[in-house]
Amino acid sequence: MAALGACGEWLVSTYEKKLIAVHTKKSREPFVFDCSAAEQKPKDTEADNKSDGSEETGSDKILAFAISSSAKLVALTDDTKRLVLFRCEPSWQVISTRWVVRRCTSLVFTEAEDEVWAADKSGDVYSFSVVEPQKTGELKLGHLSMLLSMTLTPNDKYVITADRDEKIRVSHLRSPHNIQAFCLGHLEFVSSLLAPPGHPQWLLSGSGDGTMKLWEYESGRRLQSWDLKQLRDMPNSDTGKEKRSAVSRIAGSPGGHHVAVQCERVPSVQLFGMEQGTEERLVPSSRVTLPHCPLDLTFDPQGRLWVMLDSRETPFLMYTHTQDSWQCDSESPELKSVTEALRPHWEALQVSAGLESQFQHLYKANFDNMASYREKKQQRLQQQNEHGGKKKRGPGKGQQSNGDSKKAKKGNQSGSVPKASS
Amino acid sequence: MSVSMPQKRYYRQRAHSNPMADHTFEYPVCPEDMDWSQLYPEFFSDHQSTKKAAQVEFADIGCGYGGLLVELSPLFPNQLILGLEIRVKVSDYVQDRIRSLRAAETGSYQNIACLRSNAMKYLPNFFSKGQGLVYTNTDVEEVHLWMVKHFSEHLLFTRVPDAELVDDVIISRLGTCTEEGKKVQRNGGKNYLAVFRRVEDQN
Repeated sequence: MAALGACGEWLVSTYEKKLIAVHTKKSREPFVFDCSAAEQKPKDTEADNKSDGSEETGSDKILAFAISSSAKLVALTDDTKRLVLFRCEPSWQVISTRWVVRRCTSLVFTEAEDEVWAADKSGDVYSFSVVEPQKTGELKLGHLSMLLSMTLTPNDKYVITADRDEKIRVSHLRSPHNIQAFCLGHLEFVSSLLAPPGHPQWLLSGSGDGTMKLWEYESGRRLQSWDLKQLRDMPNSDTGKEKRSAVSRIAGSPGGHHVAVQCERVPSVQLFGMEQGTEERLVPSSRVTLPHCPLDLTFDPQGRLWVMLDSRETPFLMYTHTQDSWQCDSESPELKSVTEALRPHWEALQVSAGLESQFQHLYKANFDNMASYREKKQQRLQQQNEHGGKKKRGPGKGQQSNGDSKKAKKGNQSGSVPKASS
Repeated sequence: MSVSMPQKRYYRQRAHSNPMADHTFEYPVCPEDMDWSQLYPEFFSDHQSTKKAAQVEFADIGCGYGGLLVELSPLFPNQLILGLEIRVKVSDYVQDRIRSLRAAETGSYQNIACLRSNAMKYLPNFFSKGQGLVYTNTDVEEVHLWMVKHFSEHLLFTRVPDAELVDDVIISRLGTCTEEGKKVQRNGGKNYLAVFRRVEDQN
C-alpha cells in the first residue's frame, strides 16, 4: 500500500510501514516515521483476558493518511490500529498515538483543524479531537457496509462517506444522524471521493464500475458521468479484454482548474479541465502515459502533478501544465532532489506491491439464491399438475394448521401414484 | 385460469437470515429508476394517467407471510403498501398469495405487493427521504425496550403518546393479523407497541 500527498513544501509519501516526508525546496533531512518502531498498545488486564482474537497483531502497514488544510498537521492510521497525529512545523514531531477500534480506510481533517475523522472497515466513522490529542474517538455515524472513502465539504458543513454497497451518503457534520442526501448511481463499490477545490457544491466520485461521476451533493443530483475505460480505449482496440479497473484516486489542483484520475493497474493518468460556458463543465483534457503503473498521485500547492510509480529507478515523475498540455519535467531540480532524498529509503523497501490490486476483493460474488429455489418450485408444481384433477383445498385468507395439511399430503400421494404409473 | 392459493408448508423457512451477507438482491440504482408498475399494474395502467402518480405510502419491513399487508389492503384502497422480506421462500409465498388473491377478487388487493430485499442496506435505493410514522410491535419486552430507547434517543424521532393513537386503525391490527401475532395470542403473550414520528432536525 502506497500513498502520496503534498503538505505545504513537503512531499509526503507512505509506503508499507513508513511515512517519509521530503522537502521539495530546501535540502533538509527527510522525516521518517516507521510504524514498526512505534508505540505499542499498552497491555491492560481486561484485554488479556479476552479470548475472542481481538488482540491479534497488526502488520504495522500504513492504511491511510491525511494532511490538514494549513499543512501544519498530518495523521496516519496503520494495520495495527494506531492513529498517529503529527505536527509539521517548526519541525516534524509526533503529538499523540491513539488506538482505533477497527482498521481504518480513510482519514480526513476538518477545515477548522480541530478534529480528524476516521472511517473504518466495519462501516463506522469516529472523530478524534486534535485540540485534546489524547482523547478517545467518538462514534459519529455508520454504514452497513465497509467504508472506502470519506471527505468533508467546505466550511465543515457536511461529511460524505462512500461504501462497498455503491452508496455515497451526505450527512450533516455537526449532527451526523441527519442524512442530507444519498448520491446513488454507481454500480459497484465507491473507491474514491473528492470535494474539488474551487467548486463548493461539487463532489467527484470514482468506483469499481470504472466510472467517475460528478454530483451536486446537497441534493444528490448527478451532473455528469465518465467511463474511464472508454476514454482510454482506441477506437479499433479490443474492448472487453481489459479487466475491470477501479478508480483508485481522484485529485484536484488547488486552483480548481484541473482534475487528475488514476485507475488501478493502468499506466496512465486521465486529466480533466474546466470548460467555461453558460454553466461550468468538467471535460476530459488529456491523457498522460506513464512508464509504469502509478501507486498514487497528488497536486502540489503550485499546481504541479506528482506521480508516485512502482519503480526503483523512477519513483517519482512530475508534470506541469503549460499551454494546453501536461509536460513531464524530468530535469526539474526539485524532482531530482526529492528522488535523491527518497532513494536510500526506497531501496530498502520491497518495491513490488504495485502489481497487486487493492480493489479486486471488493467486487461482490453473486450468489443467486432464487435460481435453485425456483427450479425446485417448478419441479414441485409440475409434479402437482401431473397428479392433477385432485385440486388442493384453498385455505383462503386464514391459516391451515400443520396437522391438517400433513394428512392431506399423505392422502394424495397414496391416491395418485398408481394413476401416474398407468 | 384460476390461480390457486399457495400453501405455507411449501414455503417454510427459518426466521433468521444474515442481513450482512452478500445475498444477491435486485434493487434499483436509485428511487427514480424504480419501476413500480410491475408490482402495482392497476395503479400504473394507461387509464390512470390522469391521476397523480401513485407512491408507496406504507412499508412493512420484514412482512413475513404477508398477514398485515392482506389485512390493511381493503382499509387503504387508494394507497400503495409494500412488504419487504429478506427470505427467499417467504417472499415468494407472499407474491404467490397476492397473485392468487387478485385473481380471486377482481379489483381487490391491487394496492399491495412484496419485494425480496434487505431493507437495512437497500431502503435508500427504493425510497427517497420522507416524513411519517414508524410503528414497532413485538412480544419480547427486551426488544421493545431496546427499540424505544434507540428511537427516543434519536434526535429525528419522537414517541407518539398512546392518547394520540386511540383512533389509529393500524395498531389495533398489528398484533393480531400476522402469523407471529396469532402465535403470541395463542400462547397468551403480550404485545408491546410503540409508535414514533419523524421530526425536523433542531439544528
